[in-house]
Amino acid sequence: MVRIELEGVQKAFGEAVALEGVSLTVEDGEFFTLVGPSGCGKTTTLRTIAGLSDPTAGTVRFDGEDVSDVPVEDRNVGVVFQSYALFPHMTVAENIRYGLRFSEPPRDLSADERVQELLELVDLAGMGDRDPDELSGGQQQRVALARALAPAPDVLLLDEPMSALDARLREQLRREIKRIQQELGVTTVYVTHDQEEALAVSDRLAVMADGAVEQVGTPVEVYEGPATEFVASFVGENNLFSGTVTGRDEEELVVDVAGGSSEDRTFRVADDGPTTYETGADVSFCVRPRDLSPEAGENRFPVTLGTAEYLGGTTRIYGEWAGREIVLRLPEPVSGDLTVGFEPGDATVL
Amino acid sequence: MRGTRDRVESAALPLAAVVTISLLVVMFFYPVGRVLSEAVWIDGAPTAEPLLEVLADPFFFGVLAEAAADPSVLWTAFRPHQFGPVTVPLPDYRLGLFGFTAYQALLSTLASIALGLPGAYVLARFEFPGRETVRSLTAVPFVMPSIMVAIGFIATFGRNGVLNGVLTAVGLPRVELLYTLPIIVLAHAFYDAPLIARVTATAWESVDAGTAETARSLGASPQRAFLDVVVPQLLPAILTGALLTFIFSFMSFAIVLALGGLSLATVEVWVYHRVQQLDYTTASALATLEMVFSLLLTYAYLRYEARQRAESAARPAPRKPLFGRLNLDRLAVWGYVGVAIVVFVTPIASMLLASVTGPTGFTLDYYRFLIDRQATAASFQIKPLTAVRNSLLYGAASLAIAVPMGVLLAVASTREFRGRKLVDTLSMAPFAVSGVVVGLGLLQGLVFGTQAFGYRITVSGAVAVVAAHAVGAYPFVTRNVAPLLATIDRSVVESARTLGASRVRVLLDIELPQVFAGVVAGAAFAFAISIGEFDSTVILASGSSAYTMPVAIERFIGRRLGPATAMGCVLLVVTAVSFLVIDRLGDGRGM
Repeated sequence: MVRIELEGVQKAFGEAVALEGVSLTVEDGEFFTLVGPSGCGKTTTLRTIAGLSDPTAGTVRFDGEDVSDVPVEDRNVGVVFQSYALFPHMTVAENIRYGLRFSEPPRDLSADERVQELLELVDLAGMGDRDPDELSGGQQQRVALARALAPAPDVLLLDEPMSALDARLREQLRREIKRIQQELGVTTVYVTHDQEEALAVSDRLAVMADGAVEQVGTPVEVYEGPATEFVASFVGENNLFSGTVTGRDEEELVVDVAGGSSEDRTFRVADDGPTTYETGADVSFCVRPRDLSPEAGENRFPVTLGTAEYLGGTTRIYGEWAGREIVLRLPEPVSGDLTVGFEPGDATVL
Repeated sequence: MRGTRDRVESAALPLAAVVTISLLVVMFFYPVGRVLSEAVWIDGAPTAEPLLEVLADPFFFGVLAEAAADPSVLWTAFRPHQFGPVTVPLPDYRLGLFGFTAYQALLSTLASIALGLPGAYVLARFEFPGRETVRSLTAVPFVMPSIMVAIGFIATFGRNGVLNGVLTAVGLPRVELLYTLPIIVLAHAFYDAPLIARVTATAWESVDAGTAETARSLGASPQRAFLDVVVPQLLPAILTGALLTFIFSFMSFAIVLALGGLSLATVEVWVYHRVQQLDYTTASALATLEMVFSLLLTYAYLRYEARQRAESAARPAPRKPLFGRLNLDRLAVWGYVGVAIVVFVTPIASMLLASVTGPTGFTLDYYRFLIDRQATAASFQIKPLTAVRNSLLYGAASLAIAVPMGVLLAVASTREFRGRKLVDTLSMAPFAVSGVVVGLGLLQGLVFGTQAFGYRITVSGAVAVVAAHAVGAYPFVTRNVAPLLATIDRSVVESARTLGASRVRVLLDIELPQVFAGVVAGAAFAFAISIGEFDSTVILASGSSAYTMPVAIERFIGRRLGPATAMGCVLLVVTAVSFLVIDRLGDGRGM
């Protein structure tokens, strides 16, 4: 197992820049996720680690050793693609065995034993003689996973492996991938556009946008302390406010949420961000929908309620205040007008 | 250990590419270049004289050649034509050889469209048992030996052919169709109408039923919806097919030679005629002009076709059952089926019939003649069994060259690299260069010998024939394999790479097994092309013993029809059997 380091990795396709200087470290044995909207460069980053895409600039290191010039077939990585990419003319067992033509199976196992071991690992024992097209989508993806793991790769790379599956199967399979990853301890990089999935499976994750890394951290760090507006709005729902600092006392900022309208008003937010804001500075902060509540004693403002979506146990309500969309999470649907507020400590200054 | 293997494998692809390109140069580009140079290079100096001579000769360019000297002929050469009560002055232009060639190609294209479109309608819109088989059969004329089709047409429409037999039997006067334009046009339609039917049917099947239904819901009548919505979606396919038909008919050789003779000669036939008269300069000049024209047309075709290629997940309209209550629609279809049987089945059936029918009824004399001739043939005469053996031998040899070459070019054409377009175009070039030109080039360049590195290099007629056949055949391999290669998911290839497979291993382990069916189909086509090739073989085999079955047929036609039809039947059987054998060999191993 290895520790992966990317340093200043750039990639341009002709004029189009796909990656602009990505630097990341994935620790040995870590489950690391690259998450972001489509076109953010997450797949290009993964392909760069695999050696399927040559970076225009920058280096990739495995355990400190520069592998930028090592061709893909010699990098000892296992890749699982969204399309499964099974070899259609080979049986399940032949698919899994294919990588063992080029490297010895681990632990002195024979190729047959290794194939059996992996079929059991992915819960497909007895299916070795099937053709790929006889399997369901979920089963095919397990075969793809087993095939990638058979040569005992140093790195497991998963490129949106579950986007083609339905929601229930996706949750089941991702628990399984996580279990297998922990069992093997293989350094894993996982690419997804689904922030919920990223939060659920990762030891750490990198949020990417426009070919650059916005924030790296544990799921809790990223969710609770988004570093940028993009992260705040991409990871989970958020209400974004921006304004001017008009005063500060103890650990709180007083922010005048501008707009020039008659409904301008000031909020008190906890000053726990990395930057020190002087009076007069522009500042943004965000408040999670679940933290906006009718019971809160501070920072109260009136919201005109609109569409409500009952989600089972909780309701998402879209409303409006001062020309801004406000998202609330309340136990039950409410309509009309509602005054809500939030505790200063629940706001995150960006 | 690993290092050596890696080095060998990483060198394999570039090496194979170099070999392929060298073969192409030797077998195709150099010979064709020789023909070109013959036309523009005399006594070591460049000259435009042969070309200009041809261009200015009314025999070749008709009114255009005359107009170069005196443009006024373009508006003075009118003659009054009487249409009922009105008299219309219409151009009375001499077409010349090129003009006539284009004119017969145009007529052939129109006839092919007229005969092909109803076929497309039946294939695309009706359901009947054997529909898939009929659809596959539309590919057959494409690989049918042209000289065999010519024999079939002679057996059907000739002086003593089946048609005249029927006419006499019912008390009608005989007709003389041989050596007339209509018979040439009909023979070309035999070849190209199925092509038009197939490409149009494919387009028709990808027309989303929703588009016509939407038009109907907006108030259009069924006919209106068809005209406004369906027809525009079919037009590109029809045009593609028409362009191809025009190119094929323009370069058609064996059909015109056998059914038209010199009185209805096209450029191809005239080039052949000049070669026979050893007038290589005029032949080369004509061939050069023809090649320029056909290359331009082919380029237009490729450009146009590339724009059409689009995969759609359309929901086609349901097919109507062909068998059912007789309405106007079905009546018309059955009428067409009757015409199609006459056009497509009669020539082959007549050939079979004529080969066993003598003046006194059933006879096997013609087949006996083939066997006897083997023993008694004089040195200048063709030995029938030798022709069969040569055909099979050349077929196998061309297969061995064309399949690896075609596969490699298919691989190259599906990879992303600079110059891919060039490889793509060059590899399809033999489609645009006539067999007569390739034959002429090989004759001048390789058979007569060439000076290189201080040695005089000559090859035998047999080797030159195999080269010509391989050149004609490999584009079919490429065309069968490349589309399948292109459908392979890129991540399948990448998966194999990440598992440790080198580029060559991926090709051998992953890609080729998945396109095996295409390789087999391409091989079958290649073999059939070689067996039926006439245009270059007849030039290369003249005066040597490297003759094949099609050449033998042509020799016999001039003397006695019976043995020619018998030889045609042998050719038909050999072609069909090899097709089936290759297909069977591929069975079970392909996907």
